[in-house]
Amino acid sequence: MKKKNSIMGMAFFGPALVLLTLFLFLPMLLTFGFSFTDYFALNPELTHFTGLKNYTDIFKDELFVKSFFNTVKFVLIIVPLQCGGALLLAIAINHAAHCKKYFKVAFFIPVVMSLAVVSTLWMQIYSPEGILNTLLGQMGIDAQPFIHSAKQALPSIAIMSVWQGMGYQMIIFLGGLQNINPAIYEAAEMDHATSWQKFKDVTLPELKPLCVFVFITVTIGAFRMLVQPMVMTGGGPDHSTYTIVYDIYETGTVNWEMGLASTMAIVFTVFVVVLTIIQNVLTKEREGKHVHKKAKTN
Amino acid sequence: MFTKKQKRINWILVGVLLVLSIFFLFPVLWMLANSFKPDSAITADMNSIAAFIPPMPDGTFFDNYLSILTNTNFVRYMANTLFYAAVLILLGIVVNGLAGYALAKIPFPFRDQWLLIIMMLLIVPTETVITIHFLIIAKAGLLNTVIGYILPMIVNPFNIFLFRQVFVSLPDDVYEAAQLDFCGPVKYFFTMVLPMSKTVVATVSVFTFLNIWNDYLWPSLVFTSSDLLTAQIGLNSITSNDNTTMGQTLAVITMVTIPVIIIYSLFSKQIVEGVTSTGSKEG
Amino acid sequence: MSFIEFRNISKKYPGADKNTVNGFNLNIEEKEFIAFVGPSGCGKSTTLRMIAGFEEISGGELYIDGKKVNETAPKDRGIAMVFQNYALYPHMTVEKNIGYGLKNMKMPAEEIKKKVDWAVRILGLEEYRCRKPKNLSGGQRQRVALGRAIVKNQKVFLMDEPLSNLDAKLRVSMRTEISKLHRELGATTIYVTHDQVEAMTMADRIVIMKDGIVQQVGKPMELYNHPANQFVAGFIGSPQMNFFDVDVDDHSITFSDGNTISLPQDVLERLNGKRGKMVLGIRGEDIKLDPQSVELHKQDKLQAVLTDTEVMGNENNLYFTFGNRMAAARVSKDEIGQIGDTITFVLLPSKMHFFDKNTGKSYTET
Repeated sequence: MKKKNSIMGMAFFGPALVLLTLFLFLPMLLTFGFSFTDYFALNPELTHFTGLKNYTDIFKDELFVKSFFNTVKFVLIIVPLQCGGALLLAIAINHAAHCKKYFKVAFFIPVVMSLAVVSTLWMQIYSPEGILNTLLGQMGIDAQPFIHSAKQALPSIAIMSVWQGMGYQMIIFLGGLQNINPAIYEAAEMDHATSWQKFKDVTLPELKPLCVFVFITVTIGAFRMLVQPMVMTGGGPDHSTYTIVYDIYETGTVNWEMGLASTMAIVFTVFVVVLTIIQNVLTKEREGKHVHKKAKTN
Repeated sequence: MFTKKQKRINWILVGVLLVLSIFFLFPVLWMLANSFKPDSAITADMNSIAAFIPPMPDGTFFDNYLSILTNTNFVRYMANTLFYAAVLILLGIVVNGLAGYALAKIPFPFRDQWLLIIMMLLIVPTETVITIHFLIIAKAGLLNTVIGYILPMIVNPFNIFLFRQVFVSLPDDVYEAAQLDFCGPVKYFFTMVLPMSKTVVATVSVFTFLNIWNDYLWPSLVFTSSDLLTAQIGLNSITSNDNTTMGQTLAVITMVTIPVIIIYSLFSKQIVEGVTSTGSKEG
Repeated sequence: MSFIEFRNISKKYPGADKNTVNGFNLNIEEKEFIAFVGPSGCGKSTTLRMIAGFEEISGGELYIDGKKVNETAPKDRGIAMVFQNYALYPHMTVEKNIGYGLKNMKMPAEEIKKKVDWAVRILGLEEYRCRKPKNLSGGQRQRVALGRAIVKNQKVFLMDEPLSNLDAKLRVSMRTEISKLHRELGATTIYVTHDQVEAMTMADRIVIMKDGIVQQVGKPMELYNHPANQFVAGFIGSPQMNFFDVDVDDHSITFSDGNTISLPQDVLERLNGKRGKMVLGIRGEDIKLDPQSVELHKQDKLQAVLTDTEVMGNENNLYFTFGNRMAAARVSKDEIGQIGDTITFVLLPSKMHFFDKNTGKSYTET
C-alpha cells in the first residue's frame, strides 16, 4: 500500500513537479548562480566567475541607483495614499446608509481594467491638451506637463496607480469590517463609548492585522512597478520613472546581460522576501482567530 | 437602531461619497463617452460638460469601433487571448489540481516537505525568474510560439496551495466508497473531486482568466509576431501606431475591458470572496 | 473452510506503542449477520476496515470465500460497504449514486436501470430518485447508502455504525429494515456498532471487543446469560449488571458492608471450589422484591433503602445502595416504591455470576 501511495503520489504531483523544476527551481538556481558571473546570453562561452563584483557594481551603477530611488519614491507616494484611501473609503461605505452596492462597484471599476488599458487611457488624460489640463484650466490653473516632465512624471504615474489599485484594498477592508462581531460594538455601547471611541477601540484594533497585510501587499506591489512607466513613458523622461524591475527587464532581456540582471533580481527578491517575512511575523498573533473563522465558514 | 444625529451623518456621508465617486470615475466616463466621437468632436467637447456625454447615436456612432475591428488585427488578438486563457485554465486545473490533491490526500514520501516548499514559493515574485524564463524559452527556440508562451504559465504554486487547502477537507469515506464502486484514483479526481469542489475550480478559473487577460510583461517578451499577440500587447501596438486616432484608442481600450467586465459581473461573488479571503487568510 | 476467516489478525499503526487489534481470530459463515461491538477505540472499526482493505493488515491472514485477501485491492474483495457518514457522492442524484458502481462495472444501461428501480423500490426512495443528497433527510441518505451497497450483488456487506447519525426513533425503524434486508438478500453482513442494543437485536452472533482484543463471541442470549468476563457482563444489558465485592467462604457470601447470605447449593456447585475475594454480578431483573414464592422464600433476605426510582411504564428501576455500591433492581410495574422506603429482596442464586477480582474472568462460566 505504501508503494502504491508513492507511485500514485508521484503520478499526481509529477507533472507539477516537472514544471516547477523547469520554471521555478531551475530559474531560481540560475538567477542565484548567474548573479556571481558576467554571463552574457549572446556569448555564454566568455562567462567568468566574478564573485561579489556584480553586487558592488550595481550599487555603483548610476542607473540602477536611480531606478532604486525611483522605486522607493513610488512606494512612498503610493503606499500611504492607497492604504489610507482604501481604509477611509471602506469605513465610509460601511457606514453609508444608502447606495452601498453602487459605491462598491464604482470604486472597484478601475481594478477591473488592465494596467495597459489604464496606462493608455491616462496617457490621453495626462496629455498636454488633454481633459485634465482642460479641467485645470477652467479652475484657473496653468497647464501641467504631467508625464512629459522629469519632475512630474513619477508622481503622475503614482497617482494613477493609486486610482487603479485602491478599490481592491477597499474590498479587503470592507470584508474585514463586516467580519467584526457586532456584539463587540453593542458591548462598547453599553460601556458608553462614543462613535470615535468605538472606531479607535474596536474597529482599528480589529482591523490591525488586515492593515498590516494590506500595507505589505501594497508595498510589494509598488515595488514591482513596471508596466505603467513601460507603456506611458518608457522609463523617462530622463529615466525619471525607471524602476528596479524595469532595469532588470532591460538588462536581462534587451541587453542580454543575465549576470547583472540576476544580481538585481536577487537584490529585489531579498527586499520582497524580507517584507513578506515582516508581515508574517506581525500577523502571527492572529492565527488563533483565523482558525476560528475557518471553522465558521465550514 | 440609529439616533437622529447618526442618521444625519450617514446621509452626509452618502452625499460626499457620491461626489467622490463621480470624480473617481471621470476618466472612465470620459473614455466611454469619447470612444464614440471623431477626434474633432473630442477636442471640441473638451471645454464643456459634453466631454462626458456620448454623442447622439447616428450613422457614425460606432465608427471608431468598426474601423478598429475591420482595419486592425484586433479581433485576432482577442481570439488569441481567449484561446490562451482557455488552454491555461484547463491545463492549470489539471496540473495544479492533481498536485494539490496529492499534497492533500496521498501520503507519498516527503509530502509535508513538498508542501512547505510550495508555501515558500508563494513568496518569490515572478520578476525574479522572468528573465530566466525568457532565456530558457529563447534557448529552446520557442520564442514567438504558443507553447513557449504557455509552458511557464501552467504551474502556479498559489493555485496548488489553494486546491490543497480545499481538497484536504474532502471526506475520505467518499473516496473509499468510490473505490468499492470500481472508480480508480484518476477517474475519482476528475469525476468526483473536481465536481465536489466547484467553488475553488470556479475561483481558480476566474482568476486565471483575469491574469492571462491582463498580463503584459510575459507576452510582451515572448511574442513579436503580430499573429500571436494577446489583447494587451495588441492594444499597445494599435495605439502606438500614429494613424490611430484618439477616439479609436479609446474604443480599443474599451473593447479590451469588456470581457473582463463580463467576467466580473458573472462571477462577482467568487471574486469578492476571493479578494476578501486573501485578506483574511494571510492577515 | 468458513466464508470469512480471520487468522490471528493484528493491526499496529506506525508510531503506536500498542496493537490496535491484537490476535483476532474468527470464522464467519455464509449469510451470517455478525455484529462487532465495543466501546470507542476498541478496534472494531479498524477490523472492519481491514476486511474492506482500507487499512493494511499488519499481521495474520484474512480469507474471504477461500481466498487470502491481505494484498487484494478493496474493489476486488467482493464487498459492499455502508459508511457511518453515508459517503454519498454529493453532486449525483439518488439514482446516479446507486447506479455508479454498476456503471463502472460496465453493466448495460437498461440492466442498471432495472437494478436501480429495484433498489429504489424496496428502500422506498421512488419519490426521491432525482434528488441530490443535500436535499434528503438523514434517514433517506441512509437508504441511498444501503441502496448503493445492495445493487452490486456483493457477497459481503460491511456496515460501519450506519445508524449512529440518526435520531432514536428512526434508528429503531432502520434496525428492523436492515434486518429485513439481510433476511431477503442473504448477504454475509458484518455490522460495527457501539450500541449493544443494535447488536443484540440484529445480529446472529456478536463479537465483543475491548482494547483490540476479542472478549467473547456468541449468540446474543449466550452473551447475556453467560458472559465470559466482567467486561462482557457489564457491556451487554441495560441497566448494567450490578457488581458487588464479596468474600466467599465454604458457607457464606459476605458483602463489603458486612451483609451476609449463606452460600446457596447451586452457587457452591458452579464455583468449582473457588473461594476468597471476588466480584458477584447479578442483573437487575434477578433481584426479587418481597419474596413470596416458596422457592425464593428459602433464600436469605436482604434489606436496603431506595435512593432513586425510574418509572418506565412497563417496568420500574429501583436504585439503592448495597454492599457499598449503587445497585439497581428491575421490577414489575406494580412494584413501585418511594424514595426512602426500605425494601426487602433476595438475589436469585442461579443467576449469580462470579468474576475474578483482578482479571475479570468468570469463575462460573467456562
